[in-house]
Amino acid sequence: MIEAKAVNFAYHRGEPVINDISCKVENGEFVALLGHNGSGKTTLSRLFMALLHPRSGEVLVDGVNIENLEPADLAHQVGYVFQNPDLQILEDTVFAEVAYGPRCKKKSETAVKEQVDAALEAMGLSDLADAYPRTLSFGQKRRLGVAAALALSPQTLILDEITNGQDEQEKNNMMAYLERLNQEKGITIILITHDMNIAREYARRAIVLQNGDLVFDGTTADLYDGKRELSEWGLSQPIIATLSARFSVEGQTAAEFCEKLHLKEGAIG
Amino acid sequence: MNETAIRFENFYYGYINGNVVLHNVNVDIGKGSFTVISGPSGAGKTTLCKAMVGIIPYYYGGRYAGNVEVLGETTKGKRVSDLSMRVGLMLDDYESQLVSLTAGEEVAFGLLNHGFAPNEVEARTKQALADVGLPGRENYQLDELSGGQRQRLLLASVLAVHPEVLVLDEPVSAMDPDGAHALYKLLYKIYQEYQMTVVVVEHNINFLLPYATNMVVMNKGKVAAQGTFEQAAAMAYEVPELRPNLPELWQIKLNLEKRFNIKLGAWRKAEDAIKELQGKFVGGELR
Repeated sequence: MIEAKAVNFAYHRGEPVINDISCKVENGEFVALLGHNGSGKTTLSRLFMALLHPRSGEVLVDGVNIENLEPADLAHQVGYVFQNPDLQILEDTVFAEVAYGPRCKKKSETAVKEQVDAALEAMGLSDLADAYPRTLSFGQKRRLGVAAALALSPQTLILDEITNGQDEQEKNNMMAYLERLNQEKGITIILITHDMNIAREYARRAIVLQNGDLVFDGTTADLYDGKRELSEWGLSQPIIATLSARFSVEGQTAAEFCEKLHLKEGAIG
Repeated sequence: MNETAIRFENFYYGYINGNVVLHNVNVDIGKGSFTVISGPSGAGKTTLCKAMVGIIPYYYGGRYAGNVEVLGETTKGKRVSDLSMRVGLMLDDYESQLVSLTAGEEVAFGLLNHGFAPNEVEARTKQALADVGLPGRENYQLDELSGGQRQRLLLASVLAVHPEVLVLDEPVSAMDPDGAHALYKLLYKIYQEYQMTVVVVEHNINFLLPYATNMVVMNKGKVAAQGTFEQAAAMAYEVPELRPNLPELWQIKLNLEKRFNIKLGAWRKAEDAIKELQGKFVGGELR
């Protein structure tokens, strides 16, 4: 469980970036952290894992104030996957890359192997264990980033824009892996994203930030009801949500929406 | 007949020690078109792009059959620099293409390499920076510019040479949606103003829906669909694995057209679609 209590934050010499935010993410939740550029969502997520510390207020992980901790202390509780997988890759094989974290924790090689195998298996990378990481496709590198975080068996995974620059199939592939982690292993997922379709389809709860303020905290069904004006927060309703609301039908995909439509009498002459 | 800017004829290509990645590609990109090249990852889009500007085969070598013509000339035996006066290229990894300390030097770099006179370099640099919304920034250090501005600076340095064809490979892959929309809007403005040919590799067709006149959809190294945007979208819709990559509005349009055997508008904006749909359809479980 991660809890922010009246958290404020500003970078050196800068304007406040996070204003008095309080929120709580329970174990097993699937949360989308949304907001326009510069709204503070990446900053907030970094406060959740002690990569940054609040100016005032507190962040609690499993009820413990993390003000004197570092990311490494929290790595077995909160895993963080960065936007650009290339910047995270250090080792010469996929296995070694994923083993890096557990080895730093001085685990026995047997334990390392067990954890790495499980993480690779969970992200569909078992067959690539001996591959050179830089030869992987972009989507595979992204999954490698997640596997590396998973190898420390954290309760919570924070993922920053990990579907950017991927095609629909790769995106859905990645999200299916995350959904399985969430549902089968009960791992808490906090997904920072600009992709409203992904947030609507996979997250159950949304937290929206605007200029460092928390402006929405509720279910994604409520956020994407197609009626709410999201543009003031720098977000947009997914087009299917807008259309579904206009026609009072329910549909997650274009095909589902179309099934619910009927031609008006005499509409086509 | 429309003139052709880039023509691929029975083109095959394989990287050194690699499999053949392009199979019998026949593509015509018309002069003055705004063409989007789309398709899933690994479809051969970037390879196609590199072949358009002569990087393939000049730098990469590899195995090659068929022909690529750019503005009426074959790329065989041509250096990239022979073509770069007429065809500008912008890669996805824009940071790696920047080489100078200041914005002005960056734009001037290409011009000086092409042997333009100093006063011409200065005038073109000024104009190119203004064209991309960075007027008067000649003396800015590159690290004073944001990521989006640096990307526009790169566009300026490509534009300053006044190429007839502009090729961009996934130019927004590292940008958030707002930045992506802004860059494409700017690109479209430049396209209209200079009446150039623009070719953009982009898997998210949504960004280019308002602008694209033509489309080529690649799949597994082959051309799966091409033609006007409307034609290519309709062809790609028939391939189940390509369908999800089409803009949702067009998935709806093509679905309804097929189901009711009707013809709907060539929607480029959500408002167009909403208006027409509300005029012709009702929602509900009835009937």
